[in-house]
Amino acid sequence: MSGDEPEFIQPPNTLKNKVKYGPDGVDLDMLEKAEQIIANLQGNYLEWVQDDLTKLQGFYDKALATPEGERAKVFKDLFGVAHDVKGQGGSFGYHLMTAIGNQLCRFLEGTQKTGAAELDVVKVHLDAMRLVIGQRMEGDGGKMGENLLRGLQAVVAKVAPK
Amino acid sequence: MAGYSLERLNFLVVDDNKHMRALVKTILHALGSKSVVEAADGADAFKELRHFPADIIICDWNMSPLDGLDFVRLVRTGKDSPNPFAAIIMLTGHTEMHRVVEARDAGVHEFLAKPISAKALYSRIRAIIERPRPFIRTATYFGPDRRRRQIEYKGRERRKTVKQEQVVDQSSVGLSQAEVEALLSG
Repeated sequence: MSGDEPEFIQPPNTLKNKVKYGPDGVDLDMLEKAEQIIANLQGNYLEWVQDDLTKLQGFYDKALATPEGERAKVFKDLFGVAHDVKGQGGSFGYHLMTAIGNQLCRFLEGTQKTGAAELDVVKVHLDAMRLVIGQRMEGDGGKMGENLLRGLQAVVAKVAPK
Repeated sequence: MAGYSLERLNFLVVDDNKHMRALVKTILHALGSKSVVEAADGADAFKELRHFPADIIICDWNMSPLDGLDFVRLVRTGKDSPNPFAAIIMLTGHTEMHRVVEARDAGVHEFLAKPISAKALYSRIRAIIERPRPFIRTATYFGPDRRRRQIEYKGRERRKTVKQEQVVDQSSVGLSQAEVEALLSG
């Protein structure tokens, strides 16, 4: 077979045989109930996220104790945890955690430096996350959430590469 | 009201974050699934596939030692892959377009941006059920047909060996504007 001669293959459609359409299937009521079950996990999330905040603090402390030229691995670890925070908050009604996690991710992947100013950016994001969880700032956090994000964006704008 | 029953489907959930696995599993159970197996990374998931006939794999991107993308490639093109045709939903916070293209080219069926909801996950499962796609094998790709939209193509037809009887109707298939925006907004 040459590269420009694609082969079309019709895979066996086993799903069609296994999935029935009927009154016992997934309908709007079932979806609403599923969303409610997730909403009821919010208490669990507030415990889970503490692990992430502890990890972020741990990697931040480790970065502080590491010579500037050798911090790349720790910054990668920080990115990983920020990425988890971003990916989970919104599922449990903490969209502001997703927004802060996203901003920290974008900053960490965009910066080439790992100096004191970059660590300060990490610290203010970590403090902001703690505030959101501590104050139970659900959703977008209202006016306070808006101010918080704007403040973080201003910090990033000062430090991020132009 | 009626809908698709997921009761008989086998799901494999692959994520290195146990809380994310718990969340996905909770949603699947709430939607009536009975058979959900978890794996913490791509290597574990590949081992599970040897004895668990997964119909739909829901996998994260960021994992180690084998990440989501490597895992998808292994399922699609690994010589000892137990199920190269398994439907795969890539669950990821990486929603920049170049990442989406990378995952698509590895052979995923659907993308789901984190944070997830029950409705968003079900919409991807429903898309897989309702719009089965043929698989394509070229020198550089093996996976579900990446042409999800029926558009008028004015360039040279590179798929010159397409047999008429194998062409499936894809007129209703395509990323919605919301999906594209969600993917682009990162």
